[in-house]
Amino acid sequence: MIRTSGLTKRVPTSEGELTILEDIDLHIENGERVAIVGASGSGKSTLLGLMAGLDTATSGEIWLHGRKLSAMDEEQRALLRAQAVGFVFQTFQLLPSLTALENVMLPIELKGDAGAGDKARDLLGRVGLADRCHHYPNQLSGGEQQRVAIARAFATNAPILFADEPTGNLDTATGGKVIDILFELNREFDTTLVLVTHDERLAHQCDRMIKLAAGRIAGEESSVEAAHA
Amino acid sequence: MPEASGLHSLFTVAWRLMWRDWRGGELRLLFFALVLAVTSVTGIALFTDRLERALLLESANMLAADRVLHSPEPPPAEINAEAVRRGFRTASTLSFTSMAFSDTGNMLVAAKAVSDAYPLRGEVITTMQPFTRGAPVDHGPPPGEAWLESRVLPALDLAVGDRVFVGETELTVGAVIIAEPDRGQGGIVDNAGPRLMLHMDDVAATNVIQLGSRVSYRSLYSHDDFDRLDEFEQWVRDSFDGNYYIRDVREESEEVAEALDRAEGYLLLGSLFAVLLAGLAIALGARRYSERHYDYVAILKTLGCTSRRIGSIYLLIQLQLAAMAVLLGSGLGYLVHEGILRALRASLQVDLPPPGAQPYLVGAMTAFICLLAFALPPLLALRETPPLRVLRKDLTQTRFSDRIPYAFGIAGSISLILWYSQDLVLTSLLVLGVAGTGLLLSLVSLLFLASSGSAGMKAGNAWKLAMTAVRRRRRQNVLQVMVFAVTIMSLLILGLLRTDLIADWQAQLPEDTPNLFMMNVTGAQVEDIEAFFAENEVDANAFYPLVSARVRTVNGAEPEPVEETGDGEGGGSLLENNQLEPEADAATGSGESADGEGRRVRGRLSRRQVTWSNELPPDNRVTLGEWWGDASRPGFVSIDEEYADWLDLEIGDILEFEINQQFVSAEIANFRSVRWDNMQPNFFIIFSPGTIDHLGATFLSTVRLETGQKLLLNDLIRQFPTIVVVEVDALIEQIQTIISQVTSAIELIFALVLAAGALVLLACVSASLDERFHENAILRTLGAGRKLILTSLLIEFSFIGAVAGVIATLGAEGGLFYLQEQVFEQDFNLHYWVWLAGPALGTAIIAALGVNSTRKVVNTSPLTVLRRVV
Repeated sequence: MIRTSGLTKRVPTSEGELTILEDIDLHIENGERVAIVGASGSGKSTLLGLMAGLDTATSGEIWLHGRKLSAMDEEQRALLRAQAVGFVFQTFQLLPSLTALENVMLPIELKGDAGAGDKARDLLGRVGLADRCHHYPNQLSGGEQQRVAIARAFATNAPILFADEPTGNLDTATGGKVIDILFELNREFDTTLVLVTHDERLAHQCDRMIKLAAGRIAGEESSVEAAHA
Repeated sequence: MPEASGLHSLFTVAWRLMWRDWRGGELRLLFFALVLAVTSVTGIALFTDRLERALLLESANMLAADRVLHSPEPPPAEINAEAVRRGFRTASTLSFTSMAFSDTGNMLVAAKAVSDAYPLRGEVITTMQPFTRGAPVDHGPPPGEAWLESRVLPALDLAVGDRVFVGETELTVGAVIIAEPDRGQGGIVDNAGPRLMLHMDDVAATNVIQLGSRVSYRSLYSHDDFDRLDEFEQWVRDSFDGNYYIRDVREESEEVAEALDRAEGYLLLGSLFAVLLAGLAIALGARRYSERHYDYVAILKTLGCTSRRIGSIYLLIQLQLAAMAVLLGSGLGYLVHEGILRALRASLQVDLPPPGAQPYLVGAMTAFICLLAFALPPLLALRETPPLRVLRKDLTQTRFSDRIPYAFGIAGSISLILWYSQDLVLTSLLVLGVAGTGLLLSLVSLLFLASSGSAGMKAGNAWKLAMTAVRRRRRQNVLQVMVFAVTIMSLLILGLLRTDLIADWQAQLPEDTPNLFMMNVTGAQVEDIEAFFAENEVDANAFYPLVSARVRTVNGAEPEPVEETGDGEGGGSLLENNQLEPEADAATGSGESADGEGRRVRGRLSRRQVTWSNELPPDNRVTLGEWWGDASRPGFVSIDEEYADWLDLEIGDILEFEINQQFVSAEIANFRSVRWDNMQPNFFIIFSPGTIDHLGATFLSTVRLETGQKLLLNDLIRQFPTIVVVEVDALIEQIQTIISQVTSAIELIFALVLAAGALVLLACVSASLDERFHENAILRTLGAGRKLILTSLLIEFSFIGAVAGVIATLGAEGGLFYLQEQVFEQDFNLHYWVWLAGPALGTAIIAALGVNSTRKVVNTSPLTVLRRVV
């Protein structure tokens, strides 16, 4: 489902070239839930951006949903994202001028599917926001906004979901609730989940945990909880 | 698959996104800017279109027709037949001088015979008692009747109903003429005495018109479709090898042409500025919209939208928006022009023709061109937003960045200006002006740059906080200063031009403008006439000797005029149609227009009326060389500068003249600018005293007689029967009417552009508030007080306003210099007070708008602001 080989990302800075990721090889299976953990600046979000086709690598290969990302241009990557990828971000990334319902409808409309309203309403109901459909993002709490973002991520039945620090802006209790919803929908839709976090507790709920340090894979372990599942 | 979902889905998404953006307030600024563009352009175009027609109709009253054909003999019958065939209304008049007799006396009158349909435009005002108010009638006298101007009746001791003799026929005095529409037209034949109007059928019986008689035929034509009039004019020109010319009011009366040309110039300039200001507002709106949409696009991209699709969506959103703006703006434009016309109704006495579709088309085209030039580039540049921005806020699109949108905007502005003005020179000059402003702004930004030596916000002191903010936002501030400067500059140019134009018109015909020209005065009569006026307490003016002269050689060679401008032959200054002296030139001043020079100078190599004097005539100015004054020596000559240009003359050139079959040479001592529209004696050529005095001359003078003194004319003519007196009251009054209407129109256009400018300023200040909101929310969170923030914002806006004001003043004076010297043919003078008022105005307006908007910054809770921008 997702595979990288020799993935390297360098960026130019005023003090010379800075290596953010170096020689990353990894493989994520269909339906697998993988957490990428590491300290701030370890390259987690960069790796997520590369795997999701939001950015391009300096060298190395990425295969996503059976397609070789490194051989595609931005237009082709956008089409692939529309077809196969959903996102949940730390900063929610809802469109402020749209209501909760409209935010969820947007990817369905962009895809040209019918019944966007019904499907969005259903998803909002499932994340517990049936009565908040017509609220704008700035009228919702952080936890509620993230739940709208989760509903949006599942709106097009994308087989792969990338989540970047989904609880990073939330308190522990709210974060816990949001994660429960995320995992529940993940199971239900049978999506592959790639989750970037530095929350060890959250990482342990995934099937596998990849540790990054200074841009390299520093280790990998299967989750205990997952093993018990 | 998104791309496969088709056009319908694209439209649906674009429509929904637009609607949601609209509801969220994102599109309002851009939409209102577009509406403003369409409203002002449509409003002004409608107004100009209808006003121009109205002014032409109104001024057509001065001709008693839309078009006139002059000829010294009856015009070919085919011309009238063709006019009738084309559905024109026609009439004819025949003017001649004649003696009118009663049982008790006689008098030289300017007789005018008119056909049944006269007048085609305007009305004749008649009454039953001389010197009383009259009532309008739409016809001339019936056969057998003569209508007389007031002062004829006491002179001949007549009353309405009495008999008057003209030549060999006897007519009944049917009415007293108070006014006739085309009284100011024609030459001496029409103005050499008081009017006696009779029916065309009675002319033969008078037996006055003999072979060689000085007569003037005028054929009048009228039609509501101006285009058909133009076609007819062309037909006459083509069919008769240029021997006959149909003229409109502009060619017939250069004073009116002058006023109309200037009014049109001002209206054109007004709409140019309105478009530029609207373009600015659109650019600002689009910029703000696109800045707020970086995140939006990044999210759309993560959701799988391709760049192409994003481009299409934004293009569709803008087109939908423009379509709505055109609908709303056209409606509002109609209301605006209706409002203006209502305000003008008091002075516009004519029924306005309904507006055509053209102004609406102009408004719509403007909206789409503005959108293409100003809005689409930054919006399409949104396509380049990297999707990774969802993870890293600091990433923005870079490929289009700033330069290409600017290039589009500049190209769009140039096309719009060119389209509106149809004037490549004016467009080039405006472009150069804008480029100059850009250069100034770069210098200003360099100054900002040079002074930004220290780091940090200096948040302890409002002044320092403001100045560091000015420096930190240098790039945005330069843009903002440019918008403010261009707006203030536009308003200053239009405001000052309006004031100068109106002042110039008032100066053109002051209260004491002479209303009588006396010609053919002999040297012996001068003192007696002066004594006559002194006795009757009338202020007499200087007497100018008049001699008919012709330039034979320039430095011994045949004169070689540079190519003449204009088309057709001479126009209608008062004496140019003068059959009494067909070779004479316009000794009396009579205006110029866009091609006035061409009209005035045609035939300049033929005879000119020249004079000699120690004194520089009033309103004349020496432009090169020196005036001889009292220390004059014979042998020098002063030349009108346009005439000098035409003959490519230089100071020191020797001209040889033929005067009364004698040859006289004189050296050019100076060139003069002459004000031809002031209704005063003016001359192309003035000699120094002693040069041609011995060749014999008659004298010319002017005088002003108030209404109550008009009867003195009868005494004057009785006492000096050989002099020719020309009355120009009617012409002066008609010019003043036109000028007052044009003044009202100019005031209203200025008000409209002022409103557009105010909206742009407001939009610009609001657009800059976003980042200030965020920064000040952080400052307040960190403990900065309301007073500190408000004061610092006030200082920052005042500073930007002052800089914009200085640049605007520089630009306005530069622009006015060009416009007044080249377009409006006025003398340019620096407006010293503006050098204080411009910066003060900039500071006050921008500070007031800034402070008003910044209240929101300090009144919104920092948390709300910070949450909004996360």
